[in-house]
Amino acid sequence: MPLIEIRNLTKQFRKGDDVITPLRDVNLDIDERDFVSLMGPSGTGKSTLLNQIAGIDRPTEGTITVNGLEITQLSRRRLAHWRAEHVGYIFQTHNLIPVLTAYENVELPLLLLPFTRAERRRRVQVAMEAVDLLDRAGHYPRQLSGGQEQRVGIARAIVTDPTVVVADEPTGDLDPVTSAQILDLLQRLKSELHTTLLMVTHDIEAAAIAERQLRLDDGRLVESAVHAAGQGEPVC
Amino acid sequence: MLKFAPYLLKTLWRHRVRTGLTVSGSAVALFVFCFVDSVQEGLHRITTQSDSTLVVFQANKFCPATSHLPQDYDQIIKTMDGVRDVVPIQVFTNNCRASLDVVVFYGVLPEQVQKVRNFDLITGSWGEFENNQDAGIVGKSVADRRQLKIGDRFSVGDVTVTVAGIFASESRSEENYVYTHLDFLQRTRGLDLVGTVTQHEVFVDPTFDALKVASQIDDRFRAGPVETDTRSKGAFQASSLADLVELIELAHYLGYACIGLMIVLVSTTTFMAVQDRIKEHAVLQTLGYTGLRVFSLVLTESTLMSLLGGLVGVSLAMLTLASAGLSVGAEAVSIAFAPSVSLAVSGIVSSLVIGVAAGILPAFQAARTEIVLALRD
Repeated sequence: MPLIEIRNLTKQFRKGDDVITPLRDVNLDIDERDFVSLMGPSGTGKSTLLNQIAGIDRPTEGTITVNGLEITQLSRRRLAHWRAEHVGYIFQTHNLIPVLTAYENVELPLLLLPFTRAERRRRVQVAMEAVDLLDRAGHYPRQLSGGQEQRVGIARAIVTDPTVVVADEPTGDLDPVTSAQILDLLQRLKSELHTTLLMVTHDIEAAAIAERQLRLDDGRLVESAVHAAGQGEPVC
Repeated sequence: MLKFAPYLLKTLWRHRVRTGLTVSGSAVALFVFCFVDSVQEGLHRITTQSDSTLVVFQANKFCPATSHLPQDYDQIIKTMDGVRDVVPIQVFTNNCRASLDVVVFYGVLPEQVQKVRNFDLITGSWGEFENNQDAGIVGKSVADRRQLKIGDRFSVGDVTVTVAGIFASESRSEENYVYTHLDFLQRTRGLDLVGTVTQHEVFVDPTFDALKVASQIDDRFRAGPVETDTRSKGAFQASSLADLVELIELAHYLGYACIGLMIVLVSTTTFMAVQDRIKEHAVLQTLGYTGLRVFSLVLTESTLMSLLGGLVGVSLAMLTLASAGLSVGAEAVSIAFAPSVSLAVSGIVSSLVIGVAAGILPAFQAARTEIVLALRD
């Protein structure tokens, strides 16, 4: 049984007099521990689909079931609780809280879960170590480089050990060298943490590190390639 | 909520100029609110005094300078049923009109002062007071205001007294009075009032109906040489302060205006803070923070600002009220601006309520953030 089941998903919204349909009757299954990249031209609904799966947006029609729970039926409050427990979100622009240190930023999602202070500290240290930023724990976002900020963002996304990690253009704001480092990091974390990772990207090279590559074209989903993790060649 | 304390405090600190200005504005508003409230409290204290003390005044006279009752009325009143004691008092004041520096002299038989007033003599001696005709015991507020100490001679109008003692009283308005010998005040140049007094203070046995005793007194002197008007001390003081009461009632609205001003101020700051952080609130909600959690974070922020301003304003007001010994008086009745626990509690509770009220709308706005739209911005 797939971890994520998307059925007949349609998303429409109004822009003035026009009705825009970024997602049209999308069906998709994502298995546990899959690493899926989602590509497509701007405005084709990649981020919209990601946001539906992350539970921060609601579809106009259709259902999304994650681990047997139909999240499209959840109330706003229950959906927030579900996100806290099951979703790690990596933003394109890092979106760290500027007044908090790297440590406190990573700790933020844990404050919502029933962990003791000691357990929170242990988890933050593990996450910060995983992104190799333990020595920057006391630094504020303004004291970090773009790549370091994104690594803190990644640590914040994995610290709760979520069911699924979603990344919206995680390298979109970074220079090529830093982008490559972040992609390496994502790949390493994926293999070490065995988490399910869904990544939206413009970058073909970034998309290539995923096991499954999907394309969204005019609101419809097209499977472009499936290959073994860490290999460049498609297997089917 | 303690877990979120670093986030809340650091958020307030991030915009420390804005936070500081809001806290200062709130402090000023609460300072004024406490001042206005202290006048209200003082007025309430003196107009709701025990009904078992009556004041006998000359009928149809409203100023102490014009009330002249025979001193020997006290002997007649003493014989009436329910009367425990009678104190003839000659009143002299430097100003019958409303003033912030009223000095009121109460000329009383010296041996009666200790008996009918529960004064705590801070410095000086009762003996000095009782044995020297021109001696006076001075209320603490007057002594502070005029920087008087034992042995000092001070004059108000034609009255010159030597300070024999300084007293504190549970009734803060009493601390604005100076007690002298009755004879001394009656004989003061320009007064020449031997044999007459301004009023008689009558202490009624609590088991008797004081109002009936008051009627009995007025009935007794209706056909006498001078007609009397007897009322409970509270009612008498309220009537003496009638003009001021209206002003004080008006000042009450100033207190409400301060509250309103503070709500608007804190609310505006919180709104600005929310507007600045729409994306931040969207990020928090993406991480799993519920709308209710974001609501409570914003509400706590506004409450903290308001409470901090309240604490500063209330503390300053209490310090000022305690040290300045201010009072306002008219017709020889004085209202003390005094600090009190109830005043401090009401100020702090008000600042808490203001913080919550001011934060509700901005908090609601933050809680209803459309995550995707806010993240896109």
